[in-house]
Amino acid sequence: MHALLALLLILFLAKVFGELVERAGFPSILGEIVAGIVFGLLFLRPDNEALLFFSELGAIFLLFTAGYKEINLRELKTASKMALIPTLSQVLVAFGFGFLIGAIFDFPQMARLFIGVAFSITSIGVSVRTLIDLDYLSKKIGSTMLASAILDDLIGIFMLSVVISIAANQQIPAGMEILVIAGKMLGFIAVMAVLGRVVFPVLFTYIHRMRVKESIFAFVVMIALFSAYLAEAFGLHAVIGAFIGGACLSSVPLAKIEDVQSKVSGIAYGIFIPIFFAFIGLSVDPAAIQAAGLFALLVIVMALSGKLIGGFIGSRIAGFDSYDSLIFGVGVMPRAGIELVVISAGRSMGIIGDEIFSAIVLMVAVSVIVSPVLLKFAIKMKETHTAPEPTNTQPR
Amino acid sequence: MNDHQEITIDYAKISVAEIMTRDVVTVIEETTIEDLLELFGEHHYHSYPVVTKIGELSGIISEDIVLEILLFDRIPASGHTHLSAVRSLGDDASGIMMPYPVTVSPDTSLSETADLMLRHRVDRICVVDSGKLVGILSKRDIVNEICKRRD
Repeated sequence: MHALLALLLILFLAKVFGELVERAGFPSILGEIVAGIVFGLLFLRPDNEALLFFSELGAIFLLFTAGYKEINLRELKTASKMALIPTLSQVLVAFGFGFLIGAIFDFPQMARLFIGVAFSITSIGVSVRTLIDLDYLSKKIGSTMLASAILDDLIGIFMLSVVISIAANQQIPAGMEILVIAGKMLGFIAVMAVLGRVVFPVLFTYIHRMRVKESIFAFVVMIALFSAYLAEAFGLHAVIGAFIGGACLSSVPLAKIEDVQSKVSGIAYGIFIPIFFAFIGLSVDPAAIQAAGLFALLVIVMALSGKLIGGFIGSRIAGFDSYDSLIFGVGVMPRAGIELVVISAGRSMGIIGDEIFSAIVLMVAVSVIVSPVLLKFAIKMKETHTAPEPTNTQPR
Repeated sequence: MNDHQEITIDYAKISVAEIMTRDVVTVIEETTIEDLLELFGEHHYHSYPVVTKIGELSGIISEDIVLEILLFDRIPASGHTHLSAVRSLGDDASGIMMPYPVTVSPDTSLSETADLMLRHRVDRICVVDSGKLVGILSKRDIVNEICKRRD
């Protein structure tokens, strides 16, 4: 198929299915994945270089915008104070469950690590929606969940970079190699920190005065590409570089002008990211899921229960009652964007095969459908068993 | 376009400081949402700069933000990010403001400022002198100035 036609069709399907799913009350990512699956069924998995390249850009921009728009250091500080224990607990238990399932099915060590990381990361978007609907976001457990999701992303990206560096070595490193990997990561972060604090602010005062059209926007995109490329040069994955590059830019005022932000999110969410999700759907092999049967089922059960159990225990330790802890555990169950980046990285490195890949995509889909329902149930349970708790803020 | 300017008035020679509004209604970072909404009810301004206790500009609160907060639970889910969710929970001006507004220094020329407004699609620009807010300039102010000078 002609590359232009393939792009056109996949973008069209992604938007149409995204809209349908969004209207049905689920996040559009689900529709975008389905669009990829449909495309694959209609056109028999076309091997398309252009599509692959665009989806790689999608993963880079997904992480870049996560750093560029969302990270706020001040917020992070309060988040870590409030949610550290519940977050560590839910991440560790989920990782453990992922590793365990890999071990049960006798996958190689590297694949076990990747499943563990893919299990660890939460995407809280779906839960936020439910929390707002039930007026729970402003309660303490709601804001703890929000804080936890922010920390969770950072921990997840850190774990991904460790696992990818290990994977590049082809074996579990010992002694010196761990130091080398840690050194590379620290080196990259140090370079980016200097750029972000010293070079970028000065650079942007010049870019700001350029007469060429859209100069700031172009340079923001260039920094996304540059940091992704530099990360690869340091032996890290491009997406990690993009995330750190975005975070570095997030405190440069001239790079954060609203109009520029909306342009960046336009090419990211308008074009590249939907293609990335659709490509994930396109890469799913329905036959592999069928063949995997029990494995796929176990992946779903373990991934969801890992977050639930870990979240419950962690928030109990942090001092919440059982009902709130249950709400927290359910609220951190959904997975979406970054975990898909994790498995597509693992797949392209040849570490995880079709079986694991397809099972985890299925898990992501199930998690975003199931969690809001369970979250509503958990909140109802609390409300029928306890007297209503006064909200922190006045309703506006 | 330059020819046109030369025969009338050279807007590159007029500085922002000459026509900016110096008496700006600002809020401090600790201003509560209630007080802010009251302010929007009281005055007819479209946005309010947020300053620190020592007068340094830290952000801006526009009508967009008020709409975003009031209608947060009506915005479709895809619009929900950590940031907008966190902002909806903010209980003071610093929690909900847009940080990093577009700024110029007082000696910037009017034509350059107009160019910035068009390029970044902003309706008003905060005028900042070494970190401190000294004035504000809206598109309307520039248009008024042009009309005045043509008379």
